Amino acid sequence: MAKIESVNVKKIFKIKKGGNQYDELPALGGVDLKIEQGEFMVIVGPSGCGKSTFLDLVSGLTLPDSGTITIDGKPVTGPGLDRAIVFQQNALFPWRTTLENVEFGLESTNPDRDNRREIALDYLSLVGLSGYHNHYPHQLSGGMKQRVSIARALALNPDIMLMDEPLAALDAQTREFLQRDILRISKESHKTVLFITHSIDEAVFLGDKVAVMSARPGVIKEILDIPLTAEQRAEDDVVATKEFVQSRLILWKLLKEEVVKVQESQIRFQNQAVAQSPARGIGNGLINAVRVLTKI
Amino acid sequence: MESKEFIKKLKAYALKSSAIVAFILLWEAAPHLGLIDPIFIPPPSIIAAKIYQLLLSGELLVHTVASLERVFLGFIIALAVALPLGFLIGGWFKTFETAVDPLLQILGQANPFTLFPVFMALLGIGELSKIGIIYWVCQWPVLFNTVSGIKSVDPVYIKVGRSMGLTKFNLFKKVLLPAALPAVFTGIRMSAVFAFFMLIGAEMIGAHSGLGFLIIQSEAVFNMPKMYAAIVSVALLGIAINYVMLKLERRAMSWKEDVAV
Repeated sequence: MAKIESVNVKKIFKIKKGGNQYDELPALGGVDLKIEQGEFMVIVGPSGCGKSTFLDLVSGLTLPDSGTITIDGKPVTGPGLDRAIVFQQNALFPWRTTLENVEFGLESTNPDRDNRREIALDYLSLVGLSGYHNHYPHQLSGGMKQRVSIARALALNPDIMLMDEPLAALDAQTREFLQRDILRISKESHKTVLFITHSIDEAVFLGDKVAVMSARPGVIKEILDIPLTAEQRAEDDVVATKEFVQSRLILWKLLKEEVVKVQESQIRFQNQAVAQSPARGIGNGLINAVRVLTKI
Repeated sequence: MESKEFIKKLKAYALKSSAIVAFILLWEAAPHLGLIDPIFIPPPSIIAAKIYQLLLSGELLVHTVASLERVFLGFIIALAVALPLGFLIGGWFKTFETAVDPLLQILGQANPFTLFPVFMALLGIGELSKIGIIYWVCQWPVLFNTVSGIKSVDPVYIKVGRSMGLTKFNLFKKVLLPAALPAVFTGIRMSAVFAFFMLIGAEMIGAHSGLGFLIIQSEAVFNMPKMYAAIVSVALLGIAINYVMLKLERRAMSWKEDVAV
């Protein structure tokens, strides 16, 4: 049985138009995806394709409009401690020290104070931040903050780590170091990881598999196995290997089509907006008014 | 090295207080030079002497305590009403908020001085009407800031809390409350200032004690030094209250990044 299984999952957003009228915006158009135990699955897709929406659905923070998501065969009905999320940025509580942030999730499950502290300190050192436990988030760099976020998620010892572009806001060097740490930690702790990114390099470097999502409404367009071994990934020149370069190229071609679609639809949308400009609205209003008057 | 640091600090203090010192010197000199009439505006030295005398006689203390008692009671009642109400409106009852918000905005805008006769008519001219009007003035900044503080909590914090399976109560206690605290404190500090303004006004209209009463009564018997002594005391007390509130705020939110403004 797959660890996480998504069958024909659809999600439609309702956007208020004013009054009781809503516009429907289909975000996900039937996502099918299977993630095995211990697998590192990366989802890439053009911006706005619904990657994060899908992650929210797996986390249980929102529920699908149709289709089902199951974890170990059980449907997701809400958030659970078997899944922990690492958000993009600034999701640390600024009023808590790093240690207290890492302890946060444990507070509702582990009543033993000293034990909580011990666990939190362990995870802080796992992400390379021992000695920073009394710092407040604003005293840390962006990369350090994300390390704390990862420690906070890991501290719950979840089966599944859900990572929503956790490195997107970081500079290139910090990003590379953190990618390596994430890879190491996830393999050592045998976590199942669902990782969202818009960086193809990141996807190839991290993923056992990379799923390419289509432009909105998002569906899984293709799933690519990344043939890199753990040894290859550990090397500094992994990006120069034949496997890396080929995977990267295939992914880029798949993704490019979708990015072009997004751009085209944006241009269409702009044209529409011009067509429905206020001047035109007033014109229509006048015509309607004349119609009403002539009827009388 | 250390003496250099010390001199640097001293210079900074000198610069900061230069305007105040100049103002006091000018004020002191003006009556002597015949620029202003010392009967209407006595020089600071006479006011200081009067304050000292009032302190010794205990009169100033009696009035200060009377004033502080009223402020404190009105302020505490306002906090007791506005904080829970603000949390309820901002945190839970969206429809309720939409319904009552316009009314609250109108009530909050009503000039409290115009309402003072209403309070006197309803609660008499004793302590109750004064505490009542202070309560009335204090509750609005606390209420509005609490509501907006809760409503503007970054949704990602709530997501984190929910994803970790927090109960609604814990989500409130551990996420919403601390996240809204800076805004809540701003409201509380504004309230403290308003309370003090309103107090003096209330005491000037009908009271037998308090600093506001002292000002009006001294004016009535044309005891100008005493009147100014009371005015200066009110100002000093206001500064002290603001200082205490800032200290409390710093203490409650030591985690906050210090940003120079």
